[in-house]
This record gives sequence, structure tokens and C-alpha cells, in this order.
Amino acid sequence: MNSISRYQLAAMLIITDVFGLFCLSGSISLMTLYGILSASALQFLTALIFVLHGKETSKGQQFFYLLYAVFCGGALFSSLWRTSGAIYIPYEERNGIWGKLLTAGLIALVCLYSSSTGLRAVSRAAVTAAAAGLLCILIDFVSAVFTADWENIYRPENQSFFYGFVRGFAVSGSLGSFFVLLEKTRGERSYAAVLYFGAKTLLTAVVILTSLAVAGGIVSAAEFPVITAAQLSQPFEAQRIDSLFLVIFISFAVFSVTLQVMTGAYLLKRLFPKFRRWRSSTVTLLVLGAALLMSGRELILLRAAAALAALTVSAAVKKSAEKISG
Amino acid sequence: MEKNGLLPSLDSSIKEIRRISGNSSDVLINRFVTGGIHCALLCCDGMVSTSVITELIFEPITDIPEKCSAEELFHYINEELLLSADRPVIGDYEELFRLMNSGFAVLLAEGMTRALAFGVQGYSSRGVQEPSGEGNIMGAHEGFTETIRVNMSQIRRRIKSPELVMEIFAKGSKSSTDLCLCYMKDRVPKSLTDKIRSSLDDVELEAILTTGQLRPFLENGSFEIFDSTGTTERPDVLCSKLIEGRAALFVDGVPYAIVIPRLFCESFQTLDDYAFKPYYSTFIRWLKYGAFLAAVLLPSFYVSIVMYHPELLNSTLFMLLVDAEKKAPLSIVTEALFALLMYEIIREAGVRLPKPVGGAVSIISGLIIGDAAVNSGLISTPLLTMTALAVLGGLVVPELNPQITVLRFVFIIAGGALGLFGISLLACGVLVNICATEDYGFPYTAPLSPFKASGMGDTAVRSGVKKMQSRGFTVEEYHE
Repeated sequence: MNSISRYQLAAMLIITDVFGLFCLSGSISLMTLYGILSASALQFLTALIFVLHGKETSKGQQFFYLLYAVFCGGALFSSLWRTSGAIYIPYEERNGIWGKLLTAGLIALVCLYSSSTGLRAVSRAAVTAAAAGLLCILIDFVSAVFTADWENIYRPENQSFFYGFVRGFAVSGSLGSFFVLLEKTRGERSYAAVLYFGAKTLLTAVVILTSLAVAGGIVSAAEFPVITAAQLSQPFEAQRIDSLFLVIFISFAVFSVTLQVMTGAYLLKRLFPKFRRWRSSTVTLLVLGAALLMSGRELILLRAAAALAALTVSAAVKKSAEKISG
Repeated sequence: MEKNGLLPSLDSSIKEIRRISGNSSDVLINRFVTGGIHCALLCCDGMVSTSVITELIFEPITDIPEKCSAEELFHYINEELLLSADRPVIGDYEELFRLMNSGFAVLLAEGMTRALAFGVQGYSSRGVQEPSGEGNIMGAHEGFTETIRVNMSQIRRRIKSPELVMEIFAKGSKSSTDLCLCYMKDRVPKSLTDKIRSSLDDVELEAILTTGQLRPFLENGSFEIFDSTGTTERPDVLCSKLIEGRAALFVDGVPYAIVIPRLFCESFQTLDDYAFKPYYSTFIRWLKYGAFLAAVLLPSFYVSIVMYHPELLNSTLFMLLVDAEKKAPLSIVTEALFALLMYEIIREAGVRLPKPVGGAVSIISGLIIGDAAVNSGLISTPLLTMTALAVLGGLVVPELNPQITVLRFVFIIAGGALGLFGISLLACGVLVNICATEDYGFPYTAPLSPFKASGMGDTAVRSGVKKMQSRGFTVEEYHE
């Protein structure tokens, strides 16, 4: 059976969420952290309802999650294009739209290959990538513990809690995949939800606190505070952590898009069983189209609204489950 | 070849044998009369031991009292004379030729549609020698040979348990090569041996001359960079694999055994790991992991950082590299590819050339080409250092050397074209490919991913033997 373990599911989802955090633009503060954590708590409670009462997603839900996967995939490409100024990708800067398309095309190619190998292979690879990412974040955090000024995290707030809450929803692009791929997960599903949201909360706290402590006064001026903090961080006396961060950033981008492509392809298979070939390619093309429509805009409100809609749709599963049993 | 039954007339049968063999000179036919019945003893010149056939077959067989029929004669020879330990009965010419060409003597008798074969193999073969490819300090110094029976005996000598099963069968429509499937019946999953047999059913090769011809049939058809079946030329290593519940396949004429399934982490394990203290073995194991990564990625990281991300270097290192690279006339990617290609050419020349000339190749490559390339400024010293380190790293894990060699080139091109972005993209593709490698339900990357904590005792570290003894590990733990 083509099923995955809850650890593998959690690894794939966390990669997407952490990549969302990496691409977070604009100033951040403790309020941002509180807002994101509150949004996660709300998502966790809704997810528990889905896990405890939901049996199987309905056709309507599947169609919505398919659109959501395409939208989130497009948002991921859009984020990647926006951050290309901070993350140096040769040729992209110099060649304008063609450079961006080349970058997107190469990532899409790797995603297409990855999704063609199947869910199990990608989930196994995601665990390895997540472990490498965790190592990078830990190195950054430990070095910050000893070298950064932790007073920085209490700098005066210029952001509201509500804005942080909205951003918390906007960076939760893996919600749809969570609800869809839970069907393919072995073992206790509520434990999978606890594992995913627990790890997400912990990593969000570590990443934001480290960024605040390391970036200090320039956090409000930085376009991408988490990336700036990673670039400023100097865990070793004579070496910055950029190269490792850059590798992790790109790997997370690839696995995030792959997750959306695979979710979309899986839903296409469920919705249109006769549509057997070119499913991943179709979803990849749709994702690229969505990315072009977004053309590098952050669309925080729209992304947050989409995530909220995904939560609402998942909560509706109780009814459909009751209908099935009735 | 015709699978016709043997002809009852001895003359017709011999005529048929001559026809099928095309009157080949090495088919020896000795006609004689024993027990009042006309018989013929057939053997292949050079495949049987002359002294054994004379003392153990000819002498007793020509001294048989009068028998009233050929049937009675065969019964007497087979049940009372016991001329050899291995005495298969033959019913057709295909089987007759297969056994005769494998070193059996075949007895035909007038009026019989069956023949008796006696195992009197006596062909010359290489003796048991130290393996050339898998070096070992503390373990046995015996390796497999080209003779399948000798290899089987080497395993049996080390595992005397009746649970060790060896199934011999022939494959190859022309070569009729003997293969031997070997496993511990109480350890190996039954589904694994069944699937191996069914995979081998697809083999329709005319000749099997190397393990490489069989491995594609045993691995799944999708594109895999790494091999999900392994080989070993050490009987002690194979025994440890069999005890862990793996299956092995011997091919007659090849001093290697195929091990199924193979895991990625096994490439970093040697029998010597268990001869030293755990802390030292753990250190060596991590050294190998590091060497593998350096072998694949070091030149590409050097190329991409120097070309696109110099800000990642500290100022001292940066100035040092600038100073070295400004004298080099070629681009860094070209330099790196040139240095590696030069190494590969020299290595290939060293492998294929006769041994006495191999020494000269080393001198020419090391002293003349290497020194001249640096002195003339064709290649910078830091790049040569990185290349040499990467090559040395690859030699630490010889089993993965083909993959390391190709990946190193591809990563250099990716790093040279797209910097760390290109390396990361390619790394993702390779990672997914490794994770997708799976045969017979055993993931190649186990126990790392899917993660099995119980497997870490012999992967991340090397636990003590007492601890491992209580674990009773079999590879089935990793089956998905």
C-alpha cells in the first residue's frame, strides 16, 4: 500500500510551513510570534475535529483542496521570486522575467521528477531534508544563544496581534495537504496532528525568536527578516551560515512545491479516475500559471482567507461523515 | 538444442551425439562391453580428472559380472557400485550435454533410453586467494573463486546450520551457466526468495558471464542511480548477510556473489568495524560518511562558491583563492572538469594496462602531468587540492565509486552553471532518487529514511557486539 508514516507526513508539512516563515516579508516582532502561534492553535483544534469525526473527504471538498493546492503552489513560486533578491540565484537577477521563468522551470522539473517517483519516495526524502533543515536552524539558534543580544526580542512593537494572526494563516500553505494526505497516513491520525502542530509551533518559535535576537535593530528595515538573520548569523568564528541556509532554502522550496503538486495530482486522480496520465504535469502547469498571475505579490490577505476557507471546509467533514454513516 | 529423449540404439545415440556436437574434438566417446552389454562412456576433454575417471569409473565398471539386460546393469551400477557421490539420471540430449560439459562422465548402454552421469569434475581452476577488491585487516583472507562449488563450500564451512539452503539451477540458453541461490530458510522472508525466483524466470540470455548481466533482472526497472543489489567477494561478509536474512546468488565462473537486498548504509560497513572497539569503528564510519559527501560535493562547492558566492568565504581564504585563481588561464569549471577527467583517464589506464606498465603510468601521471599542470599554471593549487581530496574520499567507499564519479561531474556542472542553487536542485533530485530506490519492498535508504531507531545501533554508531547479539536483527525489520 502506498501509505506513509505520521513522521513522514509531519516532515513534508513542516517543510512547507518553515519555507513560508523563511519568505515572511516585512517587520516581525513578538506580536507576530503570538499571532502565528494563535493561528496554529486554532488550526490544531479544527484539525482535531477533522481527525476525530472525519472519515473521507467529499467530492466538493476534494475539488476545493485541488484549487487550494494550485493556489498555494503558485504562492510558493511567487515567494521564491520575491526572495530572489536576497537569495542570490545566478542568471535570475540579470535576465528579468526569463530568469524568473528559468528558475521556476528548473524547480518545476525537479518537482515533476520527484512527484513521479511517488508519495513514499518523496516523504522519505522529505524526512532527510527536514532533518538537515532542523540541523541548520539548531546551529543558528545555538549560536544565537551565545552570541546574540536577547534583549532584542523585547524591542517596541509596531505590529498588531491581529496582523500576526493573519500572517499565521497566510504561512500555513500545507493545511490542504494535511487534510488530504491524512487518508494515506498509517497509525493514529490524532497523533499525526499533534506531532505536526507541535513541531510547527516549536519551530516557529525558534525561527522567529532567533531572527529577532540576531537581526536586532534592523529587523524593521529588513525586507525578509528571517533570511537577513540567517545571513547575519555567524555561528563559527570565521564562517557565516549562508551557504548551508541557501541549500536548505532551495531544498525546502522544492519539497514545498512538490507537496502541492503531489496533493493536486492525488486529488485529480480521486476526482477524475479516468485521467490517468500527465496528472503531475497538469498540476505543475496550473501552479506555474497561478504563480504568473500572482507575479511576485505577497497577497497576505488572500492567502490567509484561503487557509481559513480550507479550515472551514475541513470542519464540514463532520456532516459528510454523518451522511456516509447515515 | 533438441530436448529429444535418448535413443535406445547405442549406435544411433552416438551418431546423434556426434551430430549435435558437430563432431567436436573435445567430446570423448569410449566404447566398451561390460556385463555382456555394449556401453559407451562419454566425457568432455579437459573437464574431467583423468586419474579419477580411470580409478573410480573405468576399473570397476569393466569388471561387472554378466547381466541379462541393460536395465539390470544400470540398477547394479547405480545401486551397488556407487561410483561417485553425484549420480544424476539423464533422459534427454540437452541434459546430457549440460552435464557432460560440466565435467560429468556419462554412461550410455545399448537398449536404454536413460543414461547415468558421474560427477568426476577435474578441470583446472584458480585456488582460493585473498580478495583483491575488499581489503580487510582483521578478518579472513579468503575470497571467492570462479568455481561455484568451491564458493558454496566456503559458505557451508562457515555456516554449518541445516537452515542454510543452496539451490542450484542453470540459466543461459547457450552457456547453461550454473547459478546458486543461497539463503537461511529460517531468516529470509519467503516472499523474497519467491520474488527472486520469479525475477530470474525472466532471464532469457544466451550466456551469463558476469553478475552484471543478472543484476538488472533482480532490480526494479525504474531509473536508479544506486544499486539495490550488492556484490561481495568475501565469504565471511556473505555469511553475515545471509544470517541477517538476505539472499545471495552465485554465478559459476564469477568470483563474486550478488547480495539481495542491498542498503545504502551497508556501503559504509566493513567486517573490520566489528574487530575494533566500538568508539573507533564509530569514528571510522562517520569518517566514511564525510568522505562520501566530500567526494561528491567538494569540487562543486568550491566551484560555485568561488564563482558565484565569494562572500561566503572569510577574507583570508578569499585572498588566498583569488591569488591562486588569477594565474589560471581557464575558467574554474573547465579547470575542475579538466583535472577530474585527467584523473579518470589515468585511473582507467592504470586498471586496464598490464601490471608492469601500471607503475610507469603512476609515475608519469603523478610526477610529470600533475607537477607540470600546476607549474605551468594550467590548474590552480587549491583546485587540485580539492580534486585530490574528493578523489581520495571516493576511494574510501569503493563500492559507491561509479556513482560518486558520475555525480561529481554532474554536480560540478550544476554548481558551475547555477551556483548553490543548482547544487541544491540537483541534490534534491538525487535525494529523491535514492529514496525511491526500493526492491522487493526493502527501501534502500533504511534505516535512515524510513527511520528505524533500532537500526541506528549499526548505522549512526557501532554498538558493542554483546548489545547487537541480543538484538537478533534480520533485514525483514526494514520491509515496508
